Amino acid sequence: MRTPRPGRILLVAFLALAAGYFLLPVYWLIIAATKSNEDLYGSFGLWFDNPRLWHNLSQIFTYNGHIYPRWALNSLFYAGAGAVLATLLSAAAGFALAKYRFRGREAVFKCVLAGVLLPSTALALPLYLLFNKIGLTNTYWGVLIPSIVSPFGVYLCRIYAESAISDNLLEAARVDGAGEERIFFTLVLRLMSPALVTVFLFQFVHIWNNYFLPLVMLSDDRKYPITLGLVTWKEAADRAPELTQYTVGGAFVSVIPLAVAMLVLQRYWRTGLTEGSVKE
Amino acid sequence: MPTRRTILAAAAASAAAPALAACGEQAGAARMTRQARRPPGGRVNLVFWTWVPLQKAVALWNRTHPDIHVTVQTVPANTSGGYQKMHAALKAGDPPDLAQIEYYALPEFMLVRGLTDLTAYGADRLKKHYVDWQWQQGVFAGRTYAMPQGSGPMGFFYRADLYDKWDLEVPRTWDEFRQAARTMRKRSGGSCITAFPPVNAQWFAAFPWQRGAHWVRTEGDTWVVDLASEESRQVADFWDGMIRDKLVATVQDSQSSFFKGLQTGQIAGMLGAQWQDALIRGNAPGTKGKWRVAELPQWERGEHASSNWGGSSTAILQGTRHPAEALKFAHWLNTDPASIKLLVEAGYGWPSAKLDLKDSPLGKPDPFFGGQVYNEVFQVSDRNVDTSWRFSPTTTQSYAHIQDNIGRVVAGHGTIQDALRDAQTKFVDDLKAKGLDARSA
Repeated sequence: MRTPRPGRILLVAFLALAAGYFLLPVYWLIIAATKSNEDLYGSFGLWFDNPRLWHNLSQIFTYNGHIYPRWALNSLFYAGAGAVLATLLSAAAGFALAKYRFRGREAVFKCVLAGVLLPSTALALPLYLLFNKIGLTNTYWGVLIPSIVSPFGVYLCRIYAESAISDNLLEAARVDGAGEERIFFTLVLRLMSPALVTVFLFQFVHIWNNYFLPLVMLSDDRKYPITLGLVTWKEAADRAPELTQYTVGGAFVSVIPLAVAMLVLQRYWRTGLTEGSVKE
Repeated sequence: MPTRRTILAAAAASAAAPALAACGEQAGAARMTRQARRPPGGRVNLVFWTWVPLQKAVALWNRTHPDIHVTVQTVPANTSGGYQKMHAALKAGDPPDLAQIEYYALPEFMLVRGLTDLTAYGADRLKKHYVDWQWQQGVFAGRTYAMPQGSGPMGFFYRADLYDKWDLEVPRTWDEFRQAARTMRKRSGGSCITAFPPVNAQWFAAFPWQRGAHWVRTEGDTWVVDLASEESRQVADFWDGMIRDKLVATVQDSQSSFFKGLQTGQIAGMLGAQWQDALIRGNAPGTKGKWRVAELPQWERGEHASSNWGGSSTAILQGTRHPAEALKFAHWLNTDPASIKLLVEAGYGWPSAKLDLKDSPLGKPDPFFGGQVYNEVFQVSDRNVDTSWRFSPTTTQSYAHIQDNIGRVVAGHGTIQDALRDAQTKFVDDLKAKGLDARSA
């Protein structure tokens, strides 16, 4: 074994510091989720005091007619279905922009690029007015349909498809008699899978954390995702103080699916992020 | 149906009503209220957007009024997105029938013609059931646009046990308040007489309001902003002194250090609104029995000048097809004794209905307050609120300037007096940006 160099020690120390910086809020959240409302204020924030996680969780899950599990399922649906569809759409669009030659291709791509720069918050209100005209506000579609569009995903997929899929391979497939659909679904999707995992994760997290779009689209709290639901709890806490604890606990529960998704998919993500960046 | 123009013209004629006049390019409601005929034997469905947990009262209404069904939809509170949603829905011409709108936000909704003129549906004969100043919050140019729901009359919560321990009298005047704060600090080794939330203009405004200041008023078509009147100056001076001498705990009223202070006695009291009883009770349960409530300290001994922090109405938005039914529901919700009882249990604040405390759950001796019927204090307070205080249609932005400035003072830069003077210029600019005539006093 080599003796570690000072540069390496410094690097590890710096990374450890950064990890602490990012993990501290999560750590606080875990601790806070185990406390009573009184201890939330009255005890030291970074250590346990009369932990009662199960009691808190059962309160959170049953409050107001089991509304929280409903929000959680809604979030899973919006983020899960939305991310899958967004990934498919991005893959198809990205592949087409990379491999098919057609008039206006660059113009389309530049429009998509402009879409990356446009904050989705700015689009929420016009979308609401539009969806209201076709009667889709306050429906699941109102949140789902805008969520399946991901300009960043298209951008990433195009870059990736350009470098990862060789024209010769496509030619060979065509010569063997495969139709374009078959080529896309059996060949291209597999070749692009690292990029697709990346797009899926990004979009999943994006939809999961989205607040403004569901805020303007939905008014029935049984269709809310967790983000919106927790805000209604936080706001009602000046009338019903126990809701402060429910908000904290609800936030704790809501990061678990994200953590699981990261841990399961991070291997793909790592390769996905770097693979497309080097052009052969 | 009176148009906004005619309402605004009438507003211009009436000095008592804010001049929501001289429309700039305000986006208005896309659909006007119209009464639809009810099918014989049919049921009317009303949608109600609110963030107050009043489902139980609404369930009672639905049980007892099978012909008018109300659906509560919980939306995020006020500036966390609720008002934004309402404005968007008005613009799209698809608003809910009823909405929770705080008093300070009513003028903002008037400006976009967002509220139904309830006088046209006979609301004025209901006036006698409500506390006058709360009713007035929904009156513009002599016509009624909202049914008051609840408010937050101000009082002084204090820890009776600590006052005994430190041998202190409960202050009755602001001079005594400052003296008591000084003595408390010495005898307790650092406890504060109240918190001073540095970034909360609604809380701070309660004190000029009590003193008799009028931050905004109208002269014909013109909004006059007056944050630097003699009354406001006196109040600003007082708090400048309290902050300079470190006699108040400068923590936000919803922050954990505030609640921690209440638990430990580092903060031995709070100048606050009636609805804060639930916050103290829920977040410092260990202090049960030790709290009492007194009137706000006075500028002149023996007076009962009072003030308010927070308050909300049930408004009927522009575009509903069932204004008469919505009005009937809104009135029932806010005055029916059974409804009020359920609303009080849900912690909605101080009722807007004139009520006999003896018959109300609010009138019971409360063990948390050592058996005091503490709401008697708030009832007196509510009756003495200056009814002529008004809000402008830019309260959200303009109060943000005020609290940003006061926040800087608390951080050690300048004085509240200067902070208010600076905010006044910005306040006037906000109004002008809305296309309204405005000037500094």
